[in-house]
Amino acid sequence: MATREKLLASLHAATTFRGGDRPLTYSALARPYIDAGKRSLSERIALLIERLRGYDAEVSETTPQELHATITYVVEKSGRKQLVVPVGLPATWLGPATNWQRDNGSAHGTIDAADGVMTAASCAIADSGTIALHHGPLEGRRLLSLLPDWHLIVLHSCQIVETLPEYFARFVEPPGLVTWISGPSATADIEMTRIKGVHGPRFLSVIIVHDELSRPT
Amino acid sequence: MSGPILDPRYALPFAEAALPVLRNAQLRKNVAHAIDTIQAKRARLVAEKADWQALRDAASAIRSHVLEHLPGYLEEFETRCTAQGGIVHWAADAAEARDIALKILAEAKADSVVKVKSMTTAEIQLNAALEQRSIAVFETDLAEIILQLGDEEPSHIVVPALHVNRAQIREIFAREMNLPNLSDEPQALAEAARVFLRRKFLTSPAAISGANFLIAESGAVAVVESEGNGRMCLTLPQTLITIAGIEKVLPRFRDLEVFLQLLARSATGERMNPYTSLWTGVTPGDGPQNFHIILLDNRRSSILARPVERQTLKCIRCAACMNTCPVYRQTGGHAYGSVYPGPIGAILTPQLMGMQHAQSLPFASTLCGACYEVCPVKINIPEVLVELRAEVVAQGHQSIGGLFERLAMQVTSFVFRDERRFQVAQTFLRFLARLLTRKDGWIHALPAMGGKWTQTRDLPGLPPQSFRMWWRDNEAREPAKDA
Ligand code: SF4
Repeated sequence: MATREKLLASLHAATTFRGGDRPLTYSALARPYIDAGKRSLSERIALLIERLRGYDAEVSETTPQELHATITYVVEKSGRKQLVVPVGLPATWLGPATNWQRDNGSAHGTIDAADGVMTAASCAIADSGTIALHHGPLEGRRLLSLLPDWHLIVLHSCQIVETLPEYFARFVEPPGLVTWISGPSATADIEMTRIKGVHGPRFLSVIIVHDELSRPT
Repeated sequence: MSGPILDPRYALPFAEAALPVLRNAQLRKNVAHAIDTIQAKRARLVAEKADWQALRDAASAIRSHVLEHLPGYLEEFETRCTAQGGIVHWAADAAEARDIALKILAEAKADSVVKVKSMTTAEIQLNAALEQRSIAVFETDLAEIILQLGDEEPSHIVVPALHVNRAQIREIFAREMNLPNLSDEPQALAEAARVFLRRKFLTSPAAISGANFLIAESGAVAVVESEGNGRMCLTLPQTLITIAGIEKVLPRFRDLEVFLQLLARSATGERMNPYTSLWTGVTPGDGPQNFHIILLDNRRSSILARPVERQTLKCIRCAACMNTCPVYRQTGGHAYGSVYPGPIGAILTPQLMGMQHAQSLPFASTLCGACYEVCPVKINIPEVLVELRAEVVAQGHQSIGGLFERLAMQVTSFVFRDERRFQVAQTFLRFLARLLTRKDGWIHALPAMGGKWTQTRDLPGLPPQSFRMWWRDNEAREPAKDA
């Protein structure tokens, strides 16, 4: 505790106002950068897909009605049989051909042994090709989307924003846990070249659900 | 020859330490290749960003604001983090930070740790302290594994093994991981690291990380990475210790919208790094249930107290300044004798370690200003360098050279303080320079001590008129026009 008091006292001494221009308050700080993008929804989606493919992720598009069939198709095509899913994921998403395992606090080893994982997401930022997980019941514990080698994300078109500031405008209340994912795990440590796949999932697959194409039933 | 020493207390002066690199053609080739690659990528991604300068302005303003209100924001962070189950520690110096970490590990009965790459833990030389207590340390960042297994020293703050090429990495991995048939394909090397570390991630009782940002309003900690080794360390072990410099705090979650647009573009030439994680204290059922954060001063408070040097603390460790530095490009990182190389190292190291240990570093620069131009938080590195040089000179080494230098500085300041004196001095110096200028308009050799400088360079001769003369002659005739 002694260190804390001493340190704070020296920081106060170092930052005492000594004349000159008064330091700005937080709300007075200028933010002259671009906050919202100008793209339409379809342009936003197109940009996100371009960015994700640029990172070597796989992207499919579907409608709310076709979602179930698309998931089945994508999973089958991947050849993966054993998939873990978060507790809250809708049962209607899960096709019969796959061995789905709900994560009820399973052991690390069990999750590590799965062929893949399917989760929802909270938001996607088209400009940088970033998908945000906030780890609620549809997105699961953090290690769920980390240990398996294949991560399938179901994203709704209404969740796609264009710029990073738009993301922050949507989530004014800071989430406790956040993982931003921009492509599969990668490294630039060998001769500064981006190489896919070190410790995180080496394969990222994204299904974009066009909510705007939802037919009234 | 022994390897480079990255401790300013024992390292050679910059000019001497640089010699082995300048003589090592392979090393220079590796460094130049890596730097050229990153520079090209960065340039492309910065050019596509229409609001790049606006982002830099905002980032600089936010960081200055934080430093002006540092104690308040740190206390706010502490309150929020504690409320969420985190345990906040304060460390005055490297030794105290190491002791706190060792105590936590002893209580957790941890005999091994996995580590996320962190400049702060390198600064406090944590690994050596852990190993002394027989705690096995596993670096998990690909570059750090290369260094740890290959017994190499880091030469860059973002890509620490950039001086090692793929053939050399293959050799290290083949030997240390017992994989004689390993190829030197980057993909195969990455796979080897994945397999090598997976068990360690799953079984390690504790992890140690640094932090890129601390969020005061929520008590969250942010770590920016590429490979997923960070996510492993932050979620699998039961105990997590994060060590962060006190300057790392940001007021709000939202401020990341500025820094995350700047950081990856500046650091690796990407629109966004593959993974960024934020966590807030302890989350039941998700990740470490035992979270400690150590807030480290280690002379940062004394940097804060100095008006010119304070801006050093705005740094977000993106390494853009070293990637663009003409001196770093030639010497690589080891010559700086510190875990912080390049322009930021040249100003940070002497301030963190005490000037007496790094007197040569403020001089390891041509003051060309390239670092200032690329710095995403607009740290005026040349300005700080000049300030530190003045300090080195003021401390005055007793050599004749030092005496002359001091005298020269005093004369310069005497002359610059008065306009008439300046004019007289200028006329006199113009006369001298004319004597030295050859027919081709260049000065090829300066007399006396200046001779060393012109051994490897030429100096353009002076134009026939100084700006002052031109102004005196033209001012009356050409009234300024309104645009
Ligand atoms: S000084 Fe600026 S350019 Fe250099 S590492 Fe720090 S933030 Fe980046």
